[in-house]
Amino acid sequence: MNLSDLGQPRRNGELVFEAPWQSRVFGLAAAVVEHACGGDREPFRRELIKAIAAEPGRPYWESWTAALEALVRDLPE
Amino acid sequence: MSGGGRAERRGRGKQSGGAHHPAPMSPVEQRVAALEALLTERGLVPEGFLEEVIRRYEAEIGPMNGAKVVARAWTDPAYKQRLLADGTAAIAELGFGGEEGDHMVVVANTPAVHNVIVCTLCSCYPWPTLGLPPAWYKDPPYRARMVREPRTLLAEMGCELPEDVEIRVWDSSAEVRYLVLPQRPAGTEGVSEAELAGLVTRDSMIGVARL
Repeated sequence: MNLSDLGQPRRNGELVFEAPWQSRVFGLAAAVVEHACGGDREPFRRELIKAIAAEPGRPYWESWTAALEALVRDLPE
Repeated sequence: MSGGGRAERRGRGKQSGGAHHPAPMSPVEQRVAALEALLTERGLVPEGFLEEVIRRYEAEIGPMNGAKVVARAWTDPAYKQRLLADGTAAIAELGFGGEEGDHMVVVANTPAVHNVIVCTLCSCYPWPTLGLPPAWYKDPPYRARMVREPRTLLAEMGCELPEDVEIRVWDSSAEVRYLVLPQRPAGTEGVSEAELAGLVTRDSMIGVARL
């Protein structure tokens, strides 16, 4: 059976997320942007740029995870 | 390019003896679970929030939105003019906007100019019109080489351009998200706007393919 038969969302042949944890951490970043940063994406973007620059070969969603961890560390309690 | 770390542990939950042993989590899965627990405890993740965000990006937000914008521009010269003058406003006319789409600039391909988008620092991308970026867009080789040697990389990706076509590379940033308006394919006169939208691919709106 072809994966597309299962109705999984695809974009030009690619799944949007490759594993459930990737979609969770994507949604968690959206939650922090919306509920802790007043909708401002820039603080997260700055962390993502730093995380990617720190380890350019690291898989993208792991850099995303590291960026969110760094942003959360700096959030006021 | 890398295939990413697909979870391979599904279906290993039950072991002999009848007791339920959940599949062990990988280190990154553990970190994400810890983040989710912490953020939920702080009240930042309302019930159902994650599921709704994920559902929207898996089902509603994607290149089919950008394709509608392109097809409208091909069939309505006044709309095309507005789109090139103020991308954000013209895209909002079709109901698309929000996260990562606040400052849209649409760049039009012509017989003499081919446009392509990249984000050299991370993965900036016009979410409302294209959805989330494909894996290769986020990988270091694409981010570095599209600036250094666009003609060679485009050819490797199957988009060979005549030498006399100028290539313009647009580096997306916090300030601006770009969308490429591909050229309307020859022989599509009389084709309806809805059918035209069906011809527009994601890659043509990134600029790594022509139609």
